[in-house]
Amino acid sequence: MVKKKEFGIFFLLFMLALFFVYIYTDITKAKEDIFERIQNHQIEQISYILQNIEKDILETTEIVTVDDMFSMFKKEHVRAEYEHIISLMLTSNVKYVYILYKDEQSRFRFLLDASKTDKANFNQKFDVNSPEYETVFTTKKPQVIQQSDIENLYLTYLYPIISNGNVIAIFNIDITTNIQKIILESIKPLETFFVVLIIFVLLLMVMTIMQIFHYFVTRKKIFTDQLTNTFNRNYLEETLPLLNLSNYSLAMLDLDKFKIINDTYGHKTGDYVLSQASKIFKESIRDSDILVRYGGEEFLLLINNRNKAKSALDTCERLRRNISKERFIYDDHEIRVSVSIGLHKYPYLEKNIQEAIKIADKMLYIAKKGGRDRVECYDEKESAEKFSSSGDISFVKEAIDDERVICHYQPIYDYKHSRVFKYEALVRIVTKEGLIVPPFAFLPQIKETNMHYKLTQRILLTVFETFKNNSKLVSINMNFSDLINSDIEETIIKNLQDNPHLASRVTFEILESDEINDIELFKQKINLIHSLKAKVSIDDFGSGYSNFKTIIDIEANFLKIDGSLVKNIDVSAKDFKVVKSIIHFAKQSNMQTIAEHVHSKDIYEKLLLLDIDFMQGYYISEPKEALVGEEELFQAL
Amino acid sequence: MKASILLLILVITLFAREDRVDIKAQILEKIFSNIHVDSGVTLWCDNKHLLEELKKSSYLIITDECAVATIIVVESRESIENDENCKNKPIFVLNYELLKNIPESFGAFFWKKGRPNIVIIESRALFQNIRLSKELESYKEEKVW
Repeated sequence: MVKKKEFGIFFLLFMLALFFVYIYTDITKAKEDIFERIQNHQIEQISYILQNIEKDILETTEIVTVDDMFSMFKKEHVRAEYEHIISLMLTSNVKYVYILYKDEQSRFRFLLDASKTDKANFNQKFDVNSPEYETVFTTKKPQVIQQSDIENLYLTYLYPIISNGNVIAIFNIDITTNIQKIILESIKPLETFFVVLIIFVLLLMVMTIMQIFHYFVTRKKIFTDQLTNTFNRNYLEETLPLLNLSNYSLAMLDLDKFKIINDTYGHKTGDYVLSQASKIFKESIRDSDILVRYGGEEFLLLINNRNKAKSALDTCERLRRNISKERFIYDDHEIRVSVSIGLHKYPYLEKNIQEAIKIADKMLYIAKKGGRDRVECYDEKESAEKFSSSGDISFVKEAIDDERVICHYQPIYDYKHSRVFKYEALVRIVTKEGLIVPPFAFLPQIKETNMHYKLTQRILLTVFETFKNNSKLVSINMNFSDLINSDIEETIIKNLQDNPHLASRVTFEILESDEINDIELFKQKINLIHSLKAKVSIDDFGSGYSNFKTIIDIEANFLKIDGSLVKNIDVSAKDFKVVKSIIHFAKQSNMQTIAEHVHSKDIYEKLLLLDIDFMQGYYISEPKEALVGEEELFQAL
Repeated sequence: MKASILLLILVITLFAREDRVDIKAQILEKIFSNIHVDSGVTLWCDNKHLLEELKKSSYLIITDECAVATIIVVESRESIENDENCKNKPIFVLNYELLKNIPESFGAFFWKKGRPNIVIIESRALFQNIRLSKELESYKEEKVW
């Protein structure tokens, strides 16, 4: 899924960068603020002095006009006197202090220059280039000129000498940059530090973005099937935990007789047809639907129905029609393909997605069996309606009371001796109308209720009754909670203790699951079965939380490999290896192996290569009320 | 050459430094583009660096020989005092004090309080048959103060 860690780091870096930018701007603002305060402070101090000098000049000498001023400063001793007074203002910070007046031609001239360096002559012309010099005369208010560092000048302060409401001259104070420069130089390392830090954080952010980008590119490759450009099973495994199945219908799609295309025209042609067919699939669905290449020519489609269940069936039909009318042309060969589809409208009703896939797969099988190029839809809601009130406990209770609980038996085939090795008993309820209700319609509702134990008891009695007078072997499914129920235990002991002939032919298939929380109790109950001479089989091995040690310890006689692993061994090398490993493990632990869900010839032939002991599935025979003989096997071909 | 000297000075002031020869040369180029003599303006300068910088001008005629020059730009009085080739030529000085001390000088360009200043003594210019454009009007002075 989306790399949360990377996004987290990116977010952290982003916040860090923002923080540093904030600190940097804050420092810059503080710097400007300090400069402004220093400047204002300097100007304020200078202003006081200038006011006093102005007062002194105007009051003591009775100067009224510019001419008076000119006449007064024309006298060298007066000039010297005032230059001395004014020069007291000179500091390391105040570089030049002088008085200017404006002549008749509006040119500025020196009246007095108290500067120690670069001293000007009396009445020497002074070329000024800032409009503020004129502004002083018009506004009669002091002006500040921010110098652009000319000759180390930082700012010029112009203070008007006003007499009779007219500006007759101006004090010109040139201030150097000394203090400001010192401050600037002092905080320069801090500024540089923050700039470097911000650059560093930005670089890290860029690197994180690149990593996230790289992740998405890689992710696309990992989750995409190269040939069909659809999602692959990796994607399904990654996405499933996040999917809200209630928004989807689930369909299994399989191209009909695809093996013939491969065998007749070659694999290149097969690949071409597959890629073109998947293109049509994609064109026939919406963006919100998810198409996954499930294996070989089999696809899994999650149809986003947004509660419009009917549209899922429409989508499947449209998809089937679009494939059916298409002509695939490769190397001058015109090839026509059809697709069979098994649809489960409400997969969220199942225990998990695997169960939903199983059901959709069964529907697919029915579609194939029914002549291919068709859609078979499984609708549990409709089934539930059809099966009356099969969803509640009373339905089961009534069935037990009315003795409408029956068993169907599916043969477990011993291919080495071409015989039915034994039968697996599978519960069914016959409705009052005579319909056969499968267990998924009522078992989930009575799970962990007393009715469940009663039903198990009834199944046990039914099976014992059926098999007590023949020599056939039978398997009965049980879960851990059944096993530890005292009533069930009593029923088993009562029926098998006095009938060793029957006991030796009964196998209890214990579902491997996380419900087995008390291992010791579990072992104790298994030992009880062993003591009765009955056999033990581990059911659905490979799908749960296998505790190998416990499985070895209980000395089970059989190990039944989970159908979800078996059903794909013809197309998935990974599943093939897993099944092979399980068989090896079972043999090492003296257990015989049973493969369930053998629904096709391909799977059957693959299993032959693996030296499995027994097989079970629709390819061999579906469950039937009567015990089928060898002559009735492989009729679904 | 259409831009006014004032504008040039205004812009140059932003980057001004007294020791920047290139800026000095630019301002002098602007000044001499507004000064005319009958035989045409041919400049010589006692500052070799400034002379080289002035040579980059596409407008001014610069010479390495003081004798050939029609106007000489002087930074130091000593450099021309004993040179017969520089005698009796209009002088443009680069220091306000020189304007006082050298009677042949008719104008000056110099830095005062960190700002570029130009002074043209009108009477001296007229006396040496030097004509000034209106651009230099605001820099004219009657005498050296």
